[in-house]
Amino acid sequence: MAMKQTFELRVNGRIHRVEAAPDRRLLEVLREDLGLGSVREGCGIGMCGACTVLLDGRPVSSCLLLISQVHHQEIVTVEGLGGHGTLHPVQQAFIEHFAFQCAYCTPGFILSAVALLEREPDPDEQVLLEYLSGNLCRCGSYLNILKAVRAAAQGRKPPSS
Amino acid sequence: MAVGRSVPVRDAEARVRGTIPYLADLRLPGMLVAKIVRSPFPHARIRHLDPRPAMGIPGVVAVLTAHDFDRPGAPRLFYGVDRKDQPIVARDRVRYMGEPVAAIAAETPEAAEEAARAIEVEYEEQPAVFDPVEAMQPGAPLVHEDCPNNIFLHTRLRHGDLEAGFAAADLIVEETYTTPPASHAALEPHGVIAWWEGGHLTLWSTTQAPFVIQETLAEIFGLPRESVRVIVPPLGGGYGGKGYVRLEPIAAALAWKVHGRPVRLILDRFEEFVTLTRHTACIHIRTGVRRDGTLTARQVEVYWGAGAYADITPRLLRSAGLVRVVGPYRIPAVHVDAYGVYTHLPPAGPFRGTMSFEGAWAYESHMDTIAHRLGMDPLELRRKNILRPGDRFCTGEVIDEAFFLECLEAAAQRLGWGQPYEKGEGTRRRGRGLAIMMKSTLPRSRSECRLILRADGMLELHTGTVEMGQGAHTALAQIAAAEMGLPLERIEVIGPDTARVPYDATTSASRSTSMMGAAVQKAAARLKEEIRQRATPLLEANPDEIIIQAGRAWLQGRPEIGLPWEEILRRHGLEALEAHGVFETQGGLDPETGQGIASPHWHQGAGACEIEVDTETGKIRILRYCAAAYAGQVVNPALAELQNQGNVVFGLGQAMMEQIVFDQGQPANANLSDYPIPSLRDLPNELISLLLESPEGSIHGLGEMTLPPVAPAIANALFDAIGVRIRDLPITPEKVWRALHGDEADL
Amino acid sequence: MSPEVLHPATLEETLTMLEAYGEEARPLAGGTALVLLLRHGLIAPRALICLEEVSELQSIQFNEDHVWIGAMVRLQTLARSPRIHTRFPVLAMACGEVGNIRIRYQATLGGNLAEADYASDPPIALMVLDAIVWAQRAKSKRAIPIAGFFHGLYTTALEPNELIVGIQIPYPPPGARMAYLKFRTRSAEDRPCVGVAALGIFEDGGCRDLRVAVGAACERPQRLPEVERLATGRSLDERMIRLIAQGYADQIETLSDLRGSADYRRRMIEVHVRRALEEVCNGGGAVGASAGR
Repeated sequence: MAMKQTFELRVNGRIHRVEAAPDRRLLEVLREDLGLGSVREGCGIGMCGACTVLLDGRPVSSCLLLISQVHHQEIVTVEGLGGHGTLHPVQQAFIEHFAFQCAYCTPGFILSAVALLEREPDPDEQVLLEYLSGNLCRCGSYLNILKAVRAAAQGRKPPSS
Repeated sequence: MAVGRSVPVRDAEARVRGTIPYLADLRLPGMLVAKIVRSPFPHARIRHLDPRPAMGIPGVVAVLTAHDFDRPGAPRLFYGVDRKDQPIVARDRVRYMGEPVAAIAAETPEAAEEAARAIEVEYEEQPAVFDPVEAMQPGAPLVHEDCPNNIFLHTRLRHGDLEAGFAAADLIVEETYTTPPASHAALEPHGVIAWWEGGHLTLWSTTQAPFVIQETLAEIFGLPRESVRVIVPPLGGGYGGKGYVRLEPIAAALAWKVHGRPVRLILDRFEEFVTLTRHTACIHIRTGVRRDGTLTARQVEVYWGAGAYADITPRLLRSAGLVRVVGPYRIPAVHVDAYGVYTHLPPAGPFRGTMSFEGAWAYESHMDTIAHRLGMDPLELRRKNILRPGDRFCTGEVIDEAFFLECLEAAAQRLGWGQPYEKGEGTRRRGRGLAIMMKSTLPRSRSECRLILRADGMLELHTGTVEMGQGAHTALAQIAAAEMGLPLERIEVIGPDTARVPYDATTSASRSTSMMGAAVQKAAARLKEEIRQRATPLLEANPDEIIIQAGRAWLQGRPEIGLPWEEILRRHGLEALEAHGVFETQGGLDPETGQGIASPHWHQGAGACEIEVDTETGKIRILRYCAAAYAGQVVNPALAELQNQGNVVFGLGQAMMEQIVFDQGQPANANLSDYPIPSLRDLPNELISLLLESPEGSIHGLGEMTLPPVAPAIANALFDAIGVRIRDLPITPEKVWRALHGDEADL
Repeated sequence: MSPEVLHPATLEETLTMLEAYGEEARPLAGGTALVLLLRHGLIAPRALICLEEVSELQSIQFNEDHVWIGAMVRLQTLARSPRIHTRFPVLAMACGEVGNIRIRYQATLGGNLAEADYASDPPIALMVLDAIVWAQRAKSKRAIPIAGFFHGLYTTALEPNELIVGIQIPYPPPGARMAYLKFRTRSAEDRPCVGVAALGIFEDGGCRDLRVAVGAACERPQRLPEVERLATGRSLDERMIRLIAQGYADQIETLSDLRGSADYRRRMIEVHVRRALEEVCNGGGAVGASAGR
């Protein structure tokens, strides 16, 4: 039986020391130990995307990761986007396009969109769905979410295009 | 004007930053973690329950069992908003798989888990029954010994001469439609934090009904209402699943046993599936019609499988369960018999589109069967019979604000109903279908609000309406801003918190924007009067010459002579000025005949769609879906639109994929992989939302209207495409395929 | 109760650890399946051997006559790799259909095979590619043809302490045409009711080699060589396609679950084998086609 160990986690550009059992889920570490409330448990099995985080830029479900698996990678949560008083363009687009209702799923969608736009600055519909369709929104705000992400992609293009 | 504008929700930035505080984000000092021990059997006697092994585990603070309720001064074991049939924890019998038999409060989740495993329970399994129709048969296992045939309530609606109506018919069509249990599947699970301190109970709960919780817990614990305080954080979705009393009694009882430390209970996804479901419904519908399409009589028998406890079902059956299964039609004779039936399944309760979903599934599919038998266009049949302004509904009430036909025609027209279209060929066939629904909201319910004008010029809006993503707090603030002529930034919404805000019945039945909105309007009018009274001596004028608007009081025709409200308060030495607004709906139905007033106004929504079905697999693709709702006066068009889209997406799940599969009472798919909900790629190729506005109309809640038509519209389109009638939800590819290839299925 | 988590850096180290712990250790690849088994108490190993840093398991190598895919290569990498897409379109398509983007970014091909979930896409594709699973333990290494790798529901040919180190796939001849169809009956995010992979090699208008694998409808992905051989040297015309589809429908023992009954699945096998073969006939060259929502 393994006791608690000390892990160094790089989250949102800062290094955190965390005491945890090696099989503690990343979701719990981020929520409970680091107080990052944007990372939320929805289904607990990687289906809904409410606990999405970026791991070295890849969107992953933090409910399916053990802390031991991630302690060398850079983790980004929605708290790490934007700055003080400023929002990330994707966040801004979500507000402008009314892309949420209860918003429990919103941070997950935003991170999936950020991961998408990092890789595909000008995504076609197929890639858009590839990145976004794995996040579930029970309130059914999907049309506006698509609008918001398309708009955020447009906004990233140079003005000439 | 603040009303009629698309403004983002008030806490939009917190929502995209992920910082809005849901219940799971709250941290209280000394907070304990709770865990429920649940029955593994749908029906069993508890022969022996020993909590002692759990109590010795380090970190365990309290274990709650039914024995605790025998102590003097203990809370009541049984509760229920109507029938007090539900124990907080089971005493000697469990009636559904997942029923709580004990609860643990511990320092850590690990200790709570370990304790839950350590509790010894010996069960003796009993025969069980799961289907409401089977449960009513003689000899079926009884869920409650004092309830013969498992029928806990039979309500009736009697309108007109049924026999004469059927005698006048040229054709009588009779069908049976069924719907399975489903899960609300809000992404945020149910959660409660309960804290007992010195005779006072404080709860933070993910509830849509804080005042119902307050009343119920005061009763359970024998406390005055003021000693129970219920605070509601923003909800991560509700859809009815967080309506009425859920985890609060068990969490509060555990906190009572712990005394002095807050106890937090949050369900996991499995527990969500056994906490509250949609009703299991079986609807027999029989309609008489003349050759020209005139409806002459309708008889409906509905068996509402309520699960093991009555919960809210009796209240629903006295009105909603009767009037939501008839349809928005002029029918001279209507009889409805609704039965509330116990089964050994988890309790059923409100579910977005409550009972209208099941009702419309039956009556709108049925209308197309009638149209087909008559050789009539489905829209034409509906047009001929639909309720128009001034018509009487089967409850005897006159429907004034009737836009059913307009909704139906708007949706149909947008789809191109009646125009030729590509019907498909080979294995891809296309069809079109439409449906309409009418839904009552709550009669005899009250909403109150308080407006407080502060000396700093801010206006506080105190409301018990729960914000669960529908944008109610924003819409209410817009109404307040419009009434007072203030910019939205000057409105601060406070609540729900039973210690701070006045009474509200519930946030349900799409009632909040309408009823709480009306309370806000009344409070605003009063507040203006209060301001006018204070302004009168200062402006040295007649009260009726003073205009109160936009943060100032001034003399009619002489705007330069006036004062800002802040200044008026300051000169009177007032910190604040407050006004109360109450809006109450009347009505209710006669318990024997179902006659009376079922609803202060009616929700009206239609859907029309074109689908393509793969005849080799039975799989349906929705090419186009038009959802039309009667919106009356729209407070926030963007949010209204969002609600309407959400209705269709939610409805698609209910129509095509969602069902909790119970295998001998055990849920076989209690997770979000085996129980699918609609994703982005499940949307129709084109989703069109139509809101019928009427500036003179009343304000309506829009969170349900276009949901119930989704399933019958798709089923009707399927029938149009390939002549297959599905009568049991959900409409899965396999059901469609079996209906088409029945012979081949018997391999 | 927590297992300890070990972090070997080399394959040799990994195999030594596996040997030392015996059955009390579990290799941890992406973890998307293993973490759930742990959480539900279905396994309770003393140690997890994390393969994240084992350098030998991470790469894709395009060798002269085959590709080598390290066990830890992620499904998303395979789905998006242009070279995999060109040479093995059926594998790229199948990997691109697994779960959702987050699962694909985390799950690995080796982990996917070791789990042997019947409702999974990549194994079906690997069946028509005649892939070879390389398994290794401290002192031995062996090649397991994919056709013999899956024994049944969640069971494989792997022996205790044996680790999948990589998957070797021979290049199909140029001009091979491939298709993967995933048939879902509920949500678009659902697991398959039926998955069909097909690969055809044609010459002179006739079929030189035809391979068809069916999965998700049965306990393990299956090919029926005697049915495939019906097409050898013949034209893959409509009649032949129907014959083969019928053969698969008749001979595969289907299972029932929430995504479809055994009877329905049998008929869906017939439909989707036929459609996959039609795609193989219609699709040009080695560019596979995908249908299936």
